[in-house]
Amino acid sequence: MPHIEAQQRAVAINRLLSMGQLDLLRSNTGLLYRIKESQNAGKMKGSDNQEKLVYQIIEDAGNKGIWSRDIRYKSNLPLTEINKILKNLESKKLIKAVKSVAASKKKVYMLYNLQPDRSVTGGAWYSDQDFESEFVEVLNQQCFKFLQTKAETARESKQNPMIQRNSSFASSHEVWKYICELGISKVELSMEDIETILNTLIYDGKVEMTIIAAKEGTVGSVDGHMKLYRAVNPILPPTGLVRAPCGLCPVFDDCHEGGEISPSNCIYMTEWLEF
Amino acid sequence: MTQAEIKLCSLLLQEHFGEIVEKIGVHLIRTGSQPLRVIAHDTGTSLDQVKKALCVLIHHNLVLYRVHKRSVVEYEAQCSRVLRMLRYPRYIYTTKTLYSDTGELIVEELLLNGKMTMSAVVKKVADRLTETMEDGKTMDYAEVSNAFVRLADTHFLQRCPLAPATGSSDPGPPPPAPTLVINEKDMYLVPKLSLIGKGKRRRSSDEDASGEPKAKKTKYTDNKEPIPDDGIYWQVNLDRFHQHFRDQAIVSAVANRMDQTSSEIVRTMLRMSEITTPSSAPFTQPLSSNEIFRSLPVGYNISKQVLDQYLTLLADDPLEFIGKSGDSGGGMYVINLHKALASLATATLESVIQERFGSRCARIFRLVLQKKHLEQKQVEDFAMIPAKEAKDMLYKMLSENFISLQEIPKTPDHAPSRTFYLYTVNVLSAARMLLHRCYKSIANLIERRQFETKENKRLLEKSQRVEAIIASMQATGAEEVQLQEIEEMITAPERQQLETLKRNVNKLDASEIQVDETVFLLESYIESTMKRQ
Repeated sequence: MPHIEAQQRAVAINRLLSMGQLDLLRSNTGLLYRIKESQNAGKMKGSDNQEKLVYQIIEDAGNKGIWSRDIRYKSNLPLTEINKILKNLESKKLIKAVKSVAASKKKVYMLYNLQPDRSVTGGAWYSDQDFESEFVEVLNQQCFKFLQTKAETARESKQNPMIQRNSSFASSHEVWKYICELGISKVELSMEDIETILNTLIYDGKVEMTIIAAKEGTVGSVDGHMKLYRAVNPILPPTGLVRAPCGLCPVFDDCHEGGEISPSNCIYMTEWLEF
Repeated sequence: MTQAEIKLCSLLLQEHFGEIVEKIGVHLIRTGSQPLRVIAHDTGTSLDQVKKALCVLIHHNLVLYRVHKRSVVEYEAQCSRVLRMLRYPRYIYTTKTLYSDTGELIVEELLLNGKMTMSAVVKKVADRLTETMEDGKTMDYAEVSNAFVRLADTHFLQRCPLAPATGSSDPGPPPPAPTLVINEKDMYLVPKLSLIGKGKRRRSSDEDASGEPKAKKTKYTDNKEPIPDDGIYWQVNLDRFHQHFRDQAIVSAVANRMDQTSSEIVRTMLRMSEITTPSSAPFTQPLSSNEIFRSLPVGYNISKQVLDQYLTLLADDPLEFIGKSGDSGGGMYVINLHKALASLATATLESVIQERFGSRCARIFRLVLQKKHLEQKQVEDFAMIPAKEAKDMLYKMLSENFISLQEIPKTPDHAPSRTFYLYTVNVLSAARMLLHRCYKSIANLIERRQFETKENKRLLEKSQRVEAIIASMQATGAEEVQLQEIEEMITAPERQQLETLKRNVNKLDASEIQVDETVFLLESYIESTMKRQ
């Protein structure tokens, strides 16, 4: 609008801002103005500037939500004001508070109609802030049994070793399909969820993983490679130290000859010898 | 030398050699190398006894001597060598599986006597074997010598270092202690002896008349003739046995992880590199697939293609025991010994944690091992264990020093709220800690065994006396009734007690050997890591 002077433009813009018709945004070239939607403008009618500011901050946080202290930092408003505003907005049903799963006392605020993000609720493994360890255990065992039976059938087929080994592998996609068909989970599980379960099996030492390059089109491939899993046996039987009572003794450091606890009067040894 | 090691050494020396040798040995282990007079003065024993004790220890390769400046001879004890005494049963058993009874007895004699000449060993072993054979048969010296030569060829026995032959032109006084040298080539060279003879029984009362005077005559002439290989002493090559144990462990690990055929292939490869690779090398020499195919044991008829497939599988396995180093000759393959030992040591650590703390703790441990450094939150996420339990387990492992913390400060003042704390596993230090615990456990087991024996000493003595009486009465031809009377001197509950005692002592003995297996794996791993650094 070159025919109006800069001064008049600034006055007009400020008036529109105060009426809530324009949004003020900052970009790297300078300040930008955007016209606000009419119903949004209606919603905020009756709220003052501070509330609008807080609402905007919460909106920017998206579906991860934002903590009250962070709102305070961003808006530079005192704590009491923030609390009043938050209560106001909650009663108007514009925002809601969601309990975070990481720190149970923390509450994050987000817009009313948004779904909370996975990182806040914990995803498929959490139901109402509680970690479902039995669910994880059951899935763990089921996956392991599936891989074990696959490896055994491969071993019994007695063909040449390459084929034997390749057929004992199962891709993460196969395991995912098997678990879905098993129907033990009420929650929809994605392939990444199954992969986290399979990773725990790797850390249990029962399963090993290889990554192979796969064509883009094959089912289950992600970005050109697939993860294959295979059940394995441990390479060492329980070691010699743990077969003696001293290996598992809780008071090992207090034990010495002539003391209260000594090899001569060790009750663990006596029990073990009577076995 | 840690306290636990010193305690274990003292128990072993006392059991095998007695009080005086134990006192001298432990003193030397504690204080390092010392000259003769200082030892006598510090331990308060007479010079004569110290000399005798040192003789015993040197003869068994437990103490070395060196000439220092100003012609002072200092004696140094080898703590690690003393701890090997625990492993004698394992050495003897291995020889039995490889070379049957003859080899077993040869190694047993050499281990119990430290050093011996070949002819002395052969004679003794032949005598012992003859005793166990049926009446009328005797053990030929030639058979025993053959076994001896086979053992020397595969490097299980080696010659002891000799004093260098001093020419007559040596002007000055002889050195206070000879420096022993041995040529690398001569170490396994068996002298050409023609040992003719047969083993003799101790009690030759029932032999035919012609046999007896002949046996007596050969005995007499032996004493008069000088032994042809005097001065050439043989000892057991412990390193070679250790190499064998290590190979066994690797082969069984491969068998557990893959199948029998792969483990046979690995065994063949290890056998081929037995003599060519020094035992402390991190990799064996590269072996071509053609060579391996030719050296496979007879009766294992797998085709070349299948062998190649197995080798590729072994090389691609995540275990990384076998690596491919080239393509000539059908593919060159090496065995990664250091990696194999490291995997076995980590498997030992994992199994200890699993048995002590539970399988969830083992999961956390393996997780931190694989990911090297992790934060508390990440541990919970990856292991899928609730936060409270994960924290508890991490702290328990931390207090036992299996896991350590690494601090990464965000600010220069290291404020705890602004520092990252990462959990990590240092395998070498955890292995050392576990090794120390093993030593203390073995010492505890030995003490308990001695305690149990001491408790029932009266009963044992009584049973020994009864047995002696029975034996003497049997020799003089007593009646059945009298024998039964004597046997009833030991009452039924006492017999029960003896049975329990025997069972307990055997159990404790067996578990000492089992813990020693762990000690072997951990020690080999630590040694291999230290050599690489």
